Amino acid sequence: MSDSKVPPPLPRQPVSGPGSPREVPPLPGTLPVDPTTLPDPIREELEAPDPVAIDTSAPELADGQNRCPKCGSTDIRHKAGTDLLVCVFCRNEWEGLRVEELFGLGEGIDRLRGTVVASGARDIAADAAVLMSFKCTGCGAEVTVNTESAMTARCHWCRHVFGVNEQVPNGAVPDAVLPFRIKKDDAVARIRQFVHKRRLFALKEFKEQFTPENVVGVYMPYMIVDGNASADVAGYGEIKTREYTRGTDNNKKTYYDADIYRVERHVDFTVDDLPLESSSERGNLDTRVNTNNIINTILPFDTKNAVKWNASYLVGFNSEKRNQDVAHLQPRLEDQLLSIARAQVEASVRRFDRGVRWEREKLDVHGTRWVSMYLPVWLYSYHQPGAGDGMVHYIAVNGRTGETMGSVPVQQWKLLLAALTTGTFIEGVVIAMLAGSS
Amino acid sequence: MSDDGGLWLLLAGPAGATALYWALYRYYRNTDKSHGFERETKVDAKPVTGAQSDVKVDDIKGTQRSRIEGDNVSAYRERVQRIRDD
Repeated sequence: MSDSKVPPPLPRQPVSGPGSPREVPPLPGTLPVDPTTLPDPIREELEAPDPVAIDTSAPELADGQNRCPKCGSTDIRHKAGTDLLVCVFCRNEWEGLRVEELFGLGEGIDRLRGTVVASGARDIAADAAVLMSFKCTGCGAEVTVNTESAMTARCHWCRHVFGVNEQVPNGAVPDAVLPFRIKKDDAVARIRQFVHKRRLFALKEFKEQFTPENVVGVYMPYMIVDGNASADVAGYGEIKTREYTRGTDNNKKTYYDADIYRVERHVDFTVDDLPLESSSERGNLDTRVNTNNIINTILPFDTKNAVKWNASYLVGFNSEKRNQDVAHLQPRLEDQLLSIARAQVEASVRRFDRGVRWEREKLDVHGTRWVSMYLPVWLYSYHQPGAGDGMVHYIAVNGRTGETMGSVPVQQWKLLLAALTTGTFIEGVVIAMLAGSS
Repeated sequence: MSDDGGLWLLLAGPAGATALYWALYRYYRNTDKSHGFERETKVDAKPVTGAQSDVKVDDIKGTQRSRIEGDNVSAYRERVQRIRDD
């Protein structure tokens, strides 16, 4: 026996089960307990309003309207053979910048075949440098841009600003960028409101050091995927035929009779603009060691409004570099497509009122289109010291819709005390009831 | 009231305490949240087929389960055996 030795670390398993991001998330604004049954201070926190998020399906963002800058008409056509847009109303011509039209994204998804990869989503070359140097055209000095965290730099000597505009094979330059729409003040207010709803049991140090003004605007790397797929699922479903009770007063039990059916379903579907984290660190949603699921939750973005890459959008913001290629993300895409397929077939098995147990599933991906994009996120972080490297808690605000999500560290003893007090109170009521009835 | 019913009720205290702990913990830490891509992504699906070939294979009498064993109709992200062509 080698019990004196430290046991080998357990193999890394994906977090799953209740309370993990592998569970279908609850609908926004829903709570597992009824707040009206709780003490007033807790109920007030739970019922305080959430920071308002613009629904991306709102006409303001989803209409995808491009207006003629001259006359405001939306009757705009692509002028064949050029990069220009033309206003059918006043014949004004200008350069169209939205990649949606520019690259024809969102069109012909049902005809997609094979894997179409936009130039900015190409595989990362192993030897590509992260640091890029420019010779300043103003004064001749060397200016370096560290593409791990920024895409622009200023010449120290003559104040010229440089941006990495041409696509280099280190994965730092995406196809498109979605500029920030939510201003910093607005993001600070949303973070404040989010935390205000979570004060009672928040960690003391977190509350003391809370400075939402330190929020940072970050462009996060994503792959935006269009897909055309078919899925087959098979399993068993049950329909209740009879429900009856047996036994006497105190020993009553409910019994059911049911018919068992073999169930198979097939669905052909296309998905438009599914976002996947293209940084391996951000794509790891293990809630035991990080809070990346917070940043995942504020998806989606109105990616239809993304514009062609121009480093000038990133002046004053941080950025994170993509380090995952299309092949790395394929398994996650297939997993999400299967989940979408299962959600799609749910309505067709409603008649099985005792539920369905799916046992087998099959996915045929006919075609996918990958575009790499920088998406805007306001990020507030708090480092909670602890075992290992501790835990970084994020509060993230979607830079377009304002959707806010966060992880607030809890003061465990306070939370336990509240739970125990409530438990003791319930137990007291139960004991009083039992004593009264016997 | 029988002894059986009484003992069962005594679990209400610990159950209530646990439920409140987890509800508040999730409310603060939001570990159960993620991108609800199943409903937040634009999906165009053709009508689902296969309903006409549902066949009754068996029946059960007198079960105490209120749902089918292993019900995963709403657990979209729970993967089951994957069938591959090759």
